[in-house]
Amino acid sequence: MTEFLIARGHDGPARIGSYSMGEMAISTPVLVGPSHADSLTLHYAALNRDELLKDTPMIVAIPGISYSRLDRLRDYDSILLPSLIADEILGLTAGSLLLKQQMSFLKEQQIESSGAIVRVPASLDEGSFVHVLQEFSHMGVRAAAFRFDGDLGPSDYRMVTLRSQLPRNWFALAIGRIEPYSVPLMHYLGFDVFDASRAFEAAAQGIRLWRTDAELVADDETARHCACSACESQPDLNILSNSKLIEILTNHNISTYRMVLSESIHAMQSGRLRWLVESLTHATPSLASFLRRVDRGLYSFLEEFTATAGSSTMPLIGPESYNSPAIKRFREKLVSRFTPPTHKRIVLLLPCSARKPYSDSKSHKRFARTIESAIGLARHGIAETILTSPLGVIPRELERLHPVAQYDIPVTGDWDAEETAIAVRALTTHLEKFEESVVVVAHVSGGYLDIVKQGEDNIRQALIYTSSDGSATSGASLDLLDETLRDMLELVLDGEYRRTDLEDTLRATADFQFGSGAGELLVPEDASLRGKLYRTVICQVDKEQVCAYNAVSGMLSLTLAGARRIAGLGQNWVRFEGKEVKGGSIFAVGVKEADTGIRPGDEVIVIGQDERVVAVGRSEMSGIEMCEFEKGRAVTVRHKLGVTT
Amino acid sequence: MNGITDGLKDIITKASLAARGSSLSRIRRRNLSEPAAKWVVQSRIGSEVGYALSIVLATSGCSHARSEKGGCTMCSYILDGAGQNVPTEDLIQQFQNALTSLKGLMAPISVKVYTSGSFLDPVEVPPEARAEILKAIDEDDRVRQVVLESRPEYMTDETASLVREILGDREIEIGMGLESADDGVRFLCINKGFSLSEFETALKTAASHGIGTRAYVLVKPPFLTERDALLDALQTIIAAAELGATTISVNPVNVQKHTLVQRMWSRGHYRPPWLWTVTEILKESRDQVASDVNVVCDPVAAGKPRGTHNCGKCDDAFVKAIRQFSLDQSTSHFEVLDCGCKSQWSHVLEHEDFAQLVHSLRFHIP
Repeated sequence: MTEFLIARGHDGPARIGSYSMGEMAISTPVLVGPSHADSLTLHYAALNRDELLKDTPMIVAIPGISYSRLDRLRDYDSILLPSLIADEILGLTAGSLLLKQQMSFLKEQQIESSGAIVRVPASLDEGSFVHVLQEFSHMGVRAAAFRFDGDLGPSDYRMVTLRSQLPRNWFALAIGRIEPYSVPLMHYLGFDVFDASRAFEAAAQGIRLWRTDAELVADDETARHCACSACESQPDLNILSNSKLIEILTNHNISTYRMVLSESIHAMQSGRLRWLVESLTHATPSLASFLRRVDRGLYSFLEEFTATAGSSTMPLIGPESYNSPAIKRFREKLVSRFTPPTHKRIVLLLPCSARKPYSDSKSHKRFARTIESAIGLARHGIAETILTSPLGVIPRELERLHPVAQYDIPVTGDWDAEETAIAVRALTTHLEKFEESVVVVAHVSGGYLDIVKQGEDNIRQALIYTSSDGSATSGASLDLLDETLRDMLELVLDGEYRRTDLEDTLRATADFQFGSGAGELLVPEDASLRGKLYRTVICQVDKEQVCAYNAVSGMLSLTLAGARRIAGLGQNWVRFEGKEVKGGSIFAVGVKEADTGIRPGDEVIVIGQDERVVAVGRSEMSGIEMCEFEKGRAVTVRHKLGVTT
Repeated sequence: MNGITDGLKDIITKASLAARGSSLSRIRRRNLSEPAAKWVVQSRIGSEVGYALSIVLATSGCSHARSEKGGCTMCSYILDGAGQNVPTEDLIQQFQNALTSLKGLMAPISVKVYTSGSFLDPVEVPPEARAEILKAIDEDDRVRQVVLESRPEYMTDETASLVREILGDREIEIGMGLESADDGVRFLCINKGFSLSEFETALKTAASHGIGTRAYVLVKPPFLTERDALLDALQTIIAAAELGATTISVNPVNVQKHTLVQRMWSRGHYRPPWLWTVTEILKESRDQVASDVNVVCDPVAAGKPRGTHNCGKCDDAFVKAIRQFSLDQSTSHFEVLDCGCKSQWSHVLEHEDFAQLVHSLRFHIP
């Protein structure tokens, strides 16, 4: 029996897990190589052609044309099903036929299906792939291998597209040519095994592979310095015999792969894999265009697995970040879920700050002081809105939410055309949600100012610029802001104001987490709010706590009472098989159905058999994963219904 | 063959036809009284070394290639033909013109009559032309060996006895393209259109008239990994010898225009066999096949990107060794061959089976 278990944790489709072959359990992601790759833990062989390692499970490829002696397979080996090399020339129909052939092979040869690995044809349409995968799933197959030629061109992209169709609990192998710099990308895209054979090919060609490039070790050139144990053992590579050189290059190349993989795993565990992938796009233009293509074409695949919470800094360095799933999702959710409170009469546009949350920065503290001294309580009639790249616009209420509180960008004041366009679009879309009578005060300069100017034609409201001399924080600018706001006091902010920052924040957060309308249900007019926005705010209704706002995550956590209030919205629900929840987790096996909109990190409402809310907690996986997985923790329970006796 | 394989076979047939495209209708008009090609080389004849005259008659070409079956996936020899039916007189004239090359040569001589198809196909070479040509050979006493070439379906009892009758007691061999002993490989990857048992029948028919069979074995049809190709050719040689072939001619694929193989090659989905693979096949098969069966190889475009090749540095030495071996059958010529590219080849053997990635070397060299 072969089994793949996915462990806790997500960073995009990337995961860690364990692949059990007989007695041997291999931690994934893992590198695979030929049987003589001593430093690797997973090996492959071709049946009846390569020696099988004694007593060690292997991935055994069945040759495509004539195979015989299947009796040499061992129970614990995984079987890579037969296909045809170069099948892409034959087109889509051939691809489906080859898959069917693998299925009949599996049936006829009576191979244990849990150990079978589908060899995905290079040419295949997604529809028939999904269909055949279902059949394979019914048979108990749980693994597929995708072949990459290493060019990161259309063929490799097609493979990734097909990968995105794989049931979420399947084991995914990336075989063929995977350069070291592609390993984090492949990991990010949800592959669990990476073929490191390029290490051998390169060595045979006299090439030393490095993290982001390659070096031809030639007689007449001084080789680069390398401190790896293989290279250190032989300082002068040029004097070696061919076989000795190949041996050293192989060991060096494999250790490059191992290093990059370990880097990738660590990045995933600290929530920085996307950053690593983005940073590696500078290795080659093809990698950069590949990632852009993936972001465009496979957004929903990437997004499904991208956590909505996280605490580590998220560096967004360049254009490859503009449409990363966490960023794009935030922009889209802001459009669909944020509704400005009706008592806001002014939209004050402010520049972002390097320090997060913005409120903690020097500049924003100055803005706050100026606003308060100018108009006092009427400041609660202002919708403070921060302009930034590449998130677009951030209402003050959401400044502590992921990834707003975590992103970090290089700030020079110069905006490129793409990020300007993103911000202009975000700003004008955002302002459409405000009434026409609202006044927009743009307290911004430099690139921020350009954005407002570019958007001017599409802004219906009156627009006032208050930054006088190219700096929003200069004394003169702040004076102008002060003066403008005082004028507004009579013109626009002429009503009665009371403190509303707590309810504004909690409602906006509730809407963002649970959909429009959640804010009013969780924080109704008669709610009692206590606490500090920079720490915790407790919300009670009729003396019963319904939710709490946590400044560290910028999110609300629900109580059972709170969950009951918003259950009717039909968001973030998980349907649980049992009547009551025991213990601190709900496992995927116990989940009957779940909202497909659930993302790892979301606050979820657990509904029991009798339609009652039985628990609330934090999701550990996507809603679809909860349904598809047979194992693994789906929800970490925060509150649950008392055990009834 | 089951339904799935039939489906694949149809797709490959169509792909083969598509690759051929309109090339057949664009065959260059030629002087029909000149052969398409002729050449004389030193050759092994029985246990002696003499001269071999090879003649390629310009005919209408291979019936299989002309048909709606699309022809073989790697072959466009038909484009060397006349592109039209060639009258009997012209065919005879072509042969007479070629025979002049034998002037002044000593016995033993071998005459090999090729067409871009089947010499025994009555449509391609009318029976009168066939008879006249064979008679012309018979008139030359220096000729000890005659090699003809045909698809097996034309090797009938009647034709065999006619051939034997005209050529008397000379050594006769009929060259037939077995290509692979594996029906799957032959039908699917090559689109050859006949089975092993049909080949065997033809071989036995020939043998019953004392006509030997020169079995052509293809090295690396498309859709095979390098090691698939190596093992398939080796098994085919052994099988052909066991069936009773008298000579085995080993033919590494060369990339010919207007073929499926060329389409694949130009997209990086096909690489002609390594010379390492070819020498390995020759060495191994020489050890395993009865010594009275000659194993010969005259690789086309060897050392070039379109032919069997290694890294470029060692190719000449390999080709020379292969030619020497074909003359004297000694595997010692291979023992001295070595090159740094051997480990690349070993990697390809091992990795292609696992990854099913064509290891063409167009990329990945900094």
